[in-house]
Amino acid sequence: MDDQGCPRCKTTKYRNPSLKLMVNVCGHTLCESCVEMLFVRGSGNCVQCNTPLRKSNFRVQLFEDPAIDKEVEIRKKVLKIYNKREFDFSSLKEYNDYLEQVEDIVFNLTNNIDVERTKQIMEQYQRDNKDIIQKNKAKLTREQEELEELLLQEQQVSEQRRLETLQEEQRQLQAKRKNKQALLDELEISKLPAAVLLAQHKDRAVQLETQIEKQKQNVKPANIFSTGIMMGQTVSFASVSRVEEVLYVYQPLCIDTYGPPVPELDQLGRLGYLNHVRTASPQDQAGGYSSGLACHRAIQDAFSGLFPS
Amino acid sequence: MKLNIEGLLVYFPYDYIYPEQYSYMLELKRTLDAKGHGVLEMPSGTGKTISLLSLIVAYQKAYPLEVTKLVYCSRTVPEIEKVVEELRKLMDYYAKQTGVKNDFLALALSSRKNLCIHPEVSSLRFGKEVDGKCHSLTASYIRAQHQSNPSQPVCQFFEEFDAVGRQVPIPPGIYNLDDLKDFGRRKGWCPYFLARYAILHANIVVYSYHYLLDPKIADLVSKELAKKSVVVFDEAHNIDNVCIDSMSVNITRRTLDRCQTNVETLQNTISRIKETDAAKLREEYRRLVEGLKEANVARETDIYLSNPVLPDEILQEAVPGSIRTAEHFVGFIKRFLEYLKARLRIHHVVQESAPQFLKDIYEKVCIDRKPLRFCAERLRSLLRTLEIADIADFSAITLISHFATLVSTYSKGFTIIIEPFEDRTPTIANPVLHFSCMDPSIAIKPVFGRFQSVIITSGTLSPLDIYPRILDFHPVTMASFTMTLARTCLCPLIVGRGNDQVAMTSKFETREDFAVIRNYGNLLLEMSAIVPDGIVAFFTSYIYMENIVASWYEQGILENIQRNKLIFIETQDAAETSMALEKYQEACENGRGAILLSVARGKVSEGIDFVHHFGRAVIMFGVPYVYTQSRILKARLEYLRDQFQIRENDFLTFDAMRHAAQCVGRAIRGKTDYGLMIFADKRYARADKRGKLPRWIQEHLTDGSLNLTIDETVQLAKHFLRQMAQPFRREDQLGLSLLTLEQLQSEDMLQKIAQIAQQA
Repeated sequence: MDDQGCPRCKTTKYRNPSLKLMVNVCGHTLCESCVEMLFVRGSGNCVQCNTPLRKSNFRVQLFEDPAIDKEVEIRKKVLKIYNKREFDFSSLKEYNDYLEQVEDIVFNLTNNIDVERTKQIMEQYQRDNKDIIQKNKAKLTREQEELEELLLQEQQVSEQRRLETLQEEQRQLQAKRKNKQALLDELEISKLPAAVLLAQHKDRAVQLETQIEKQKQNVKPANIFSTGIMMGQTVSFASVSRVEEVLYVYQPLCIDTYGPPVPELDQLGRLGYLNHVRTASPQDQAGGYSSGLACHRAIQDAFSGLFPS
Repeated sequence: MKLNIEGLLVYFPYDYIYPEQYSYMLELKRTLDAKGHGVLEMPSGTGKTISLLSLIVAYQKAYPLEVTKLVYCSRTVPEIEKVVEELRKLMDYYAKQTGVKNDFLALALSSRKNLCIHPEVSSLRFGKEVDGKCHSLTASYIRAQHQSNPSQPVCQFFEEFDAVGRQVPIPPGIYNLDDLKDFGRRKGWCPYFLARYAILHANIVVYSYHYLLDPKIADLVSKELAKKSVVVFDEAHNIDNVCIDSMSVNITRRTLDRCQTNVETLQNTISRIKETDAAKLREEYRRLVEGLKEANVARETDIYLSNPVLPDEILQEAVPGSIRTAEHFVGFIKRFLEYLKARLRIHHVVQESAPQFLKDIYEKVCIDRKPLRFCAERLRSLLRTLEIADIADFSAITLISHFATLVSTYSKGFTIIIEPFEDRTPTIANPVLHFSCMDPSIAIKPVFGRFQSVIITSGTLSPLDIYPRILDFHPVTMASFTMTLARTCLCPLIVGRGNDQVAMTSKFETREDFAVIRNYGNLLLEMSAIVPDGIVAFFTSYIYMENIVASWYEQGILENIQRNKLIFIETQDAAETSMALEKYQEACENGRGAILLSVARGKVSEGIDFVHHFGRAVIMFGVPYVYTQSRILKARLEYLRDQFQIRENDFLTFDAMRHAAQCVGRAIRGKTDYGLMIFADKRYARADKRGKLPRWIQEHLTDGSLNLTIDETVQLAKHFLRQMAQPFRREDQLGLSLLTLEQLQSEDMLQKIAQIAQQA
């Protein structure tokens, strides 16, 4: 990276570490002092490609390859217009085709292929899709949203952790101090020999430790509502894009049993079938069971497949 | 010997068996019966490998439908070879006992570097070169070109294998790496691809951890392994670090520069292909529009092991439109690369989470999360389409694409740390972006999810319950086995003070203390006078070792030690270290006696065994804590605390103690071996440290061997060594720590065995 330099005054990063390179829309570099000198009037032509440039459009070069700087610049501009989201399309395939189209436009603009025509296409698009562009301006893509959410979560977790450790430390310190004080008191008043007291104290200290340990594992963060929505998250009320598809229509089930017709459930008693099965006890009926159900199923089983097909 | 393990007939290829081996097999059988995972700790040198192999092979023979395959993962090539040799012994025994010809296929798999038989390729020195060269001879389009243009070189071994090798199954038998090569030479087939193909129907596969844990390799090699396999991770005490390393990415300025050249090559190739063969790019484009459906179908039908780098959502969706065409994708990579370069140009350390990174990248260069997620897959497709022969050159861009996919896929469990310089050289700018994985369970999750039984075993896994917690799985058995001994052949001593009563410790505040260093020197000096043959001493770090040795030199301690024994030092240079090791062994061999000064977590502490006279005493100077100021470690500790409720201190102590145990365990490699284990730090005497040592060491740690002075240590050591020097025959062991079949079947022995395993 040290051999990067200004093409006009031939200063390099190696010779002047504080050299600041600038890029304009055409993708050619100039160092800051050259920019100051050449563009005193606020506009001029590029030294290398003669494109008319404005001084205010010069940016600090971020990347080693100035072409990338140019591309990113163009891309940002294009994406401002082509800002449709995945849910504006009915299928993934269309969305992918759209993405490719966008990519083509960026590619053409950066590599100076068909610039005029591409610009026309862009303008055409902008006119056609004014509403959507306006609407999508504020919206993030779904993935962007996901990322934001993750970041938020991360922040919350780290914040919580910091608080927890702080509290924990204080609690421990207090407990230990209390324990020590208790020991001193006991040594003062108790009649037991000191060795026993010390041993007791040691036991207690160990218990305390384990208690603290257990508490540590029990703490669970509570930053999610029971519905799964994050606390503090804003829920968007934007209309959901309409999905066009045929509605489902119920069609009654029709089974060919290859057998004589099975009597209906409510006819079973009249036809005398129920006389041959165990009557349901009150306990059974409490659960919604009736002897007719079992009987009906048994008859269905028995009748099906009786006729050879 | 034929054993009856709860109704299972097990052939054991030796005439005698250790009681703990029997107990180990019992536990293992229960694990397999329950079709669950297990964590088993058994001391080194008690025949873990053969117990594992003989039980699982017996299980496979008895229930061929329940367990179809054994996948045995070990760490290094010599260890893999050792396992195969044991297996060969077992299979020979089977053949002799049953009279039936062996119908098992067992093979070892290693990298191309170890298996290649192509005369030109195999002469290359580095693994990467071999892989790249091999790929340039065997890639499908190279071979297609060869059809039309015979002067295009291809690998004749691969051609031969591809033509006939797949139809003819490799005959059953036991193949180690050399056997595979021989077989390959005889048939004219490529052993590497033969082995990779053969593991699909082999009964036993022995290979390295990485083939299963590293997502990049596992996807190539292991993804089609059957669900009903038993996976064994041997020497698994470091498995969490292996998992973490396999998912972490480090990006330096050099990586980015190489990536830049990669991108340029890609761009040139694309423009060239566009002129000559535009149909190819169109074909790829069409495929991408349709999405990665094939891979999805395969995963749903459960044929493949899932890959953490290839998240599920990707498979169900098509590649986003913004990176569908080749030019757009290259532009995308370029922007990403420039962004990374800009990020590396910093003057202070930055630590951020994945969401923060994603937000920033969207603001700076308008890269969305979704295309990032597809980056690795898209690049792979592009490289395939462009028919780039030498993949090795593209390692940088592949790394970047993996990073892109990982960072956009996992919002938790990873952290990004950008450091402008190394801690040791704060004046030299050497920016590194660490994308470090903090959750080992991410890499190992597919393994636990897919395979019926996964066994994690090692000599040092204490405390057992921490492994299931950090790897996030539920074992059905967790057990630690002790070593039954006819004589107490290990003597752990904790030395806490010098003769001047100054506490000995490597604690940060006192490590520069003159008295501590002198006491450490005196300890080594006294030990060098009474211990025969070899002594291995471990320090906590290279820097600490250098400091101490320098001041020993000034104090004249080194000179005194050298009257007794020669001194060798492990350095960071691998060649130098292996030279030192060789000479150390020579000095032990010819009776001069030697001391090896080495470092915990170094090469010596992990892989080298010091049997018998090569290691009569191990001295551990200090507690080998990791470097706690490292930001990566801090982030990981924080994550452990939040996610798994493991406190920082618990984890650090656990990590230090497992390395200490690993170090001192180097000296005892069997029951006839003996050795002193000296822990030279007063902190070892504390219950929280002592309790984390493996049970087989803890057992021999009595109150009398805690917090000793150097004088007392010398007394105890002298006594111990004199006792151990008495002749010791096999008959002394029989019935106690070595059993014949009859002894094994006796009632009270079975009772005793039941006590060996301690369930955690």
